[in-house]
Amino acid sequence: MGFTLVAPERPEEACEILASAAPGQVAVLAGGTDLLLDLDSGRSHPDRVLSLRRLPWRSLQWNGPTLTIGSTLPLSEIEVDPVVRARIPGLWDAIHGVGSLQLRHRATLGGNLGRASPTSDLIPMLLALDASVEIVGVQGIRSVPVDEFVLASRSTALRVGELIASISIPEARPSAYVWQRVRPSNDISQVGVAVARASRAPFWRVALGGVTPRPVRLPEAERELRAERPLTPEVVRAAEAAATHAPFATDKRATETYRRQLVGVLVRRAIAMVSAPLDRPVGWA
Amino acid sequence: MPAGSTRVNGAPVDLSEVPDDERLLDTLRWRLALRGTKEGCRTGDCGACTVLLDGRSALSCLTLTHEVEGASVTTVEAIANGRIGEAVRDAFIAEGAAQCGYCTPGFVVALTGLLAERRASTPVSDLLEEMGGNLCRCTGYGTIGRAIVRAREAIR
Repeated sequence: MGFTLVAPERPEEACEILASAAPGQVAVLAGGTDLLLDLDSGRSHPDRVLSLRRLPWRSLQWNGPTLTIGSTLPLSEIEVDPVVRARIPGLWDAIHGVGSLQLRHRATLGGNLGRASPTSDLIPMLLALDASVEIVGVQGIRSVPVDEFVLASRSTALRVGELIASISIPEARPSAYVWQRVRPSNDISQVGVAVARASRAPFWRVALGGVTPRPVRLPEAERELRAERPLTPEVVRAAEAAATHAPFATDKRATETYRRQLVGVLVRRAIAMVSAPLDRPVGWA
Repeated sequence: MPAGSTRVNGAPVDLSEVPDDERLLDTLRWRLALRGTKEGCRTGDCGACTVLLDGRSALSCLTLTHEVEGASVTTVEAIANGRIGEAVRDAFIAEGAAQCGYCTPGFVVALTGLLAERRASTPVSDLLEEMGGNLCRCTGYGTIGRAIVRAREAIR
């Protein structure tokens, strides 16, 4: 603690502040629901905190098939958009499962990506949706696939002087995100499985979260899935491949054995939700 | 840092003396003497510190005070000034949904925000799920659940 808070109005100013500081000197604040834990615990002790609250990055828009979400738009705003929920149901699943409503009113998609927690529930879904990250920096603008953006636990491809401006999802996809937790609200997933059906091969995308140093796609499981509505043997083979190849470890939340058992169940459940969307539980929207 | 026209419970507040690293929870409790908002875990897990920011529930323990500049903050002290908050308060009283009372302000504020944000026709199961951000360690959730159902009925 004991930092100065700066809240520039223009992205160029924000990037300039980052570029001119020594590493670790400036912390970036979006919703703050993760950063403030680090500031409290002393894991992070910056001289300055750069607030993104005044930057014009709170939009949500469709450009043809592509959905672009501003990095500082609160998660709850994405969640209440009926078009997003209808066209990318897995994104709704993943977002709705984050923390609690009062947390999602502040937390942001850009913050979740930028913090790159190994237990993120949103990154696996973004992987299955082939999302990309639009980055603004002192050197200009660039776009990076989420798969190349998240490098490791708490580590991203952001360079000095760069910020996440928005996240783009190239097309609407039938999709689902399912998870297992000790407690449904305000808890971290023991295993999270994201599944999406794409318009080009591989038609099924499967990604895992909560259990690995970084969320990963599972090509071994994807290869087993071919049909638009896969029959049981295909689904079982995919689930077995996921359980075999998932880079699981044992930690305080679950054992490796339990996670392997669980991932098979969750992969089958997620595929069923995508194949038979009318069977989905109906929420409040 | 200029605080704009931030309001707490309807009244403009001057936040110019507030240090940059202060949490909204601490500003409310120790600077503005609004001690209804409680500190529970200070890690965003328990919901005891829930306030409304422009009508939306938020965790004041994970919010820097200056981040809410220009917003309208509502705490439990003023929650019953509105129709929905009044119904929620009355429902908690009628159901006896408090024992030690420490979590109660958080529940009352969170439910008021939730009912204001969602249609009153929202299924009870969804309301109960959305209240999962608030923890109670003594009353038990039976009476609290009944208060949630009662408040929903009262505003329909």
